[in-house]
Amino acid sequence: MTDDCPLVCAVHRRDPGLPAAVCRRWILFLLLPLLPLFALGCATHERRLLAIRDGFYSGDLPVAEKSLDDGLKHDHRDSEVLLLERSIVELAEGRPRESEQALRTVRDRFDELERARLGKAAIALITDDRHKAYCGEDYEKVLIRALLSLANLLGDGQDAVAYALQVADKQQQIIEAAGAEASSDGPNPKLAYKQVAIGPYLHGLIREATHGNYDDAARASALVVQWEPQFLDGRADLERARHGRHSAPGNGVLYVFALVGRGPYKEETLELPTTVSLLIADRIISATNKYSLPPTIAPVKVPRIVIPPNEIAGIGVYVDGRPAGTTATITDVGRMAVEQHQAIYPRILAEAVVRRVVKKGIVLGAKEAMGANQATLTSVALDVAGIAWEASEAADTRCWGLLPDKIQVLRLELPTGRHQVALQPVSRYGSTGAAEPQAVTIDDGRNTYLLANFPDSRLVGRIATNSP
Amino acid sequence: MHRRHFLRSSFVTLAGCLGGCRGNQYAEVKHPGDPSMVGSHQAGGETWRPLMDEAVGKLLGRHSVARQSGPNGQVLPPLRICFVGVENKSIEEIGDFKDQLYEQIDSKILESQIFQPVSKRFVEAGLMQTRLRPDLLMVPANMRMFVGAMEQQGQPFDYLLYATITSGTTRENKDYQRDYLLTMELVDVHNGQYDKQSATLSKGYYHSRLSRLMKG
Repeated sequence: MTDDCPLVCAVHRRDPGLPAAVCRRWILFLLLPLLPLFALGCATHERRLLAIRDGFYSGDLPVAEKSLDDGLKHDHRDSEVLLLERSIVELAEGRPRESEQALRTVRDRFDELERARLGKAAIALITDDRHKAYCGEDYEKVLIRALLSLANLLGDGQDAVAYALQVADKQQQIIEAAGAEASSDGPNPKLAYKQVAIGPYLHGLIREATHGNYDDAARASALVVQWEPQFLDGRADLERARHGRHSAPGNGVLYVFALVGRGPYKEETLELPTTVSLLIADRIISATNKYSLPPTIAPVKVPRIVIPPNEIAGIGVYVDGRPAGTTATITDVGRMAVEQHQAIYPRILAEAVVRRVVKKGIVLGAKEAMGANQATLTSVALDVAGIAWEASEAADTRCWGLLPDKIQVLRLELPTGRHQVALQPVSRYGSTGAAEPQAVTIDDGRNTYLLANFPDSRLVGRIATNSP
Repeated sequence: MHRRHFLRSSFVTLAGCLGGCRGNQYAEVKHPGDPSMVGSHQAGGETWRPLMDEAVGKLLGRHSVARQSGPNGQVLPPLRICFVGVENKSIEEIGDFKDQLYEQIDSKILESQIFQPVSKRFVEAGLMQTRLRPDLLMVPANMRMFVGAMEQQGQPFDYLLYATITSGTTRENKDYQRDYLLTMELVDVHNGQYDKQSATLSKGYYHSRLSRLMKG
């Protein structure tokens, strides 16, 4: 630290008798040991998340809820992630209104954090990313809107169109924002993002049910076909929107949505900096001062996306005891998470490198300020503190852990009246697990919606519907 | 010496991050006459509002003259009009503007007292009951079925009204000009005669401010 350091000057002014060098030493001795403390306190979040997931996947929703309540009471820093988990638990419990409320809160909070640019980025630089307010992965921001639309359809459906339109809008915003950032540095990495077809799908099905806006439905179906070509039902939807009709007189439509499989989560991994990430790190360093990145090849801790194996290929739907079809994937959440993570991975790695370099710089500077030579005890103590500081760093593994691996859907045109529907998971070897029944009432010319959670061969919670 | 500079730089990096702007969002009420925002990537209120005003104004203007000159010079009762909807055939998504355009056009027609529009809720109910697509209403059998369904609801009408949005794009390297056209088509359900009025608006989209200054 130099003599013009404001903190040293301030202490020196208060007590002019105290030599400046002594002031510096005392300040550094007091401040440095505090730095590793920033890194503490995230292990509880991971343990809590594990309890929530275990409770949810075993079908014990009260246990998951209790862990969520504890977390929300004590862990304000991760309240957004916990609210996201809660929204899925509430959907599974058949409480779409509460789920919508939680999702809306997080959506607004994430938008706020996005505008706040870096949040607690400065603290994150001397600790790690876990100390930044969690502002969501890009796929999470988009899926929040998709699930908002779904939850709303299971309620009164008044805002479902708005939420569905926000899906595509948010995707566009994310790509454009990254484009503006990347314009001087090179290509926009987020152009590689896969677009989420469930947004236009939901928009299309709602507009089709007005019986007067087939042009909107056709436009939305065309996007679904373009963005999710493997969703074969999309072609039939497009054809119907262009030349057909919502349903024959006396019939209504049942949409069965299924959240299938266990979704992506993050775990920590040690990675060597790549050439691309070092280049980005160099740009970050050079943007704030005149120095370039010092050479570093030490491995850094970064998160990686893990997709648990998914045995469930689809959900078989039975209507009044007869097989009616199997759900098909409209959005592959796991694949989307992996692809998006790959697209921004060099940046994640670069930020970890920058953090490492800043920490080294601070320890080095502290030694210089205290006049610690290589052989002195102070120097050794600072080295040990520096090592402890770097070792306390961990990757930010926060994520929306209860997302499904896939969002699937099946459209069925059924005669008006009450029907007994049953849902049974299907693996690639055939039906697996019990068939779960749910009664629905189909109205003439209207849509009815069902939503079920099948993280594996067993239904979690209950089947939600807007028309029991 | 280098170490000192490096330390200082590290703190500057930290301070730079701390200085990020806060995440507040601001809003203001726009009064009539205040400049509207201009959509930078696609058409917005600045495009649809004047288009709608012009097209509906032209249509009403023409029929206002016709309606006031009855056989004995008396003002005729308003004609019943069934506004089927706004059809978007342009390259752009119009998203939440579509329903707003419908409501604005419907309100203007109602205010004019030249036509008496059928409520949108009856129109939707009629379409649902018959399961007819708006674009297939001109098939004679479909027309009879739809008119019958509306009469059943106590909502007979004389005219069908369609609003259609189309666009045309001209590109010049990275910039482009888009011409928006709103067409109002009024079809007499008794004899099939139709009237059409349209309004057009062109908008330039530029990839940079400089480009806008040079070409604007």
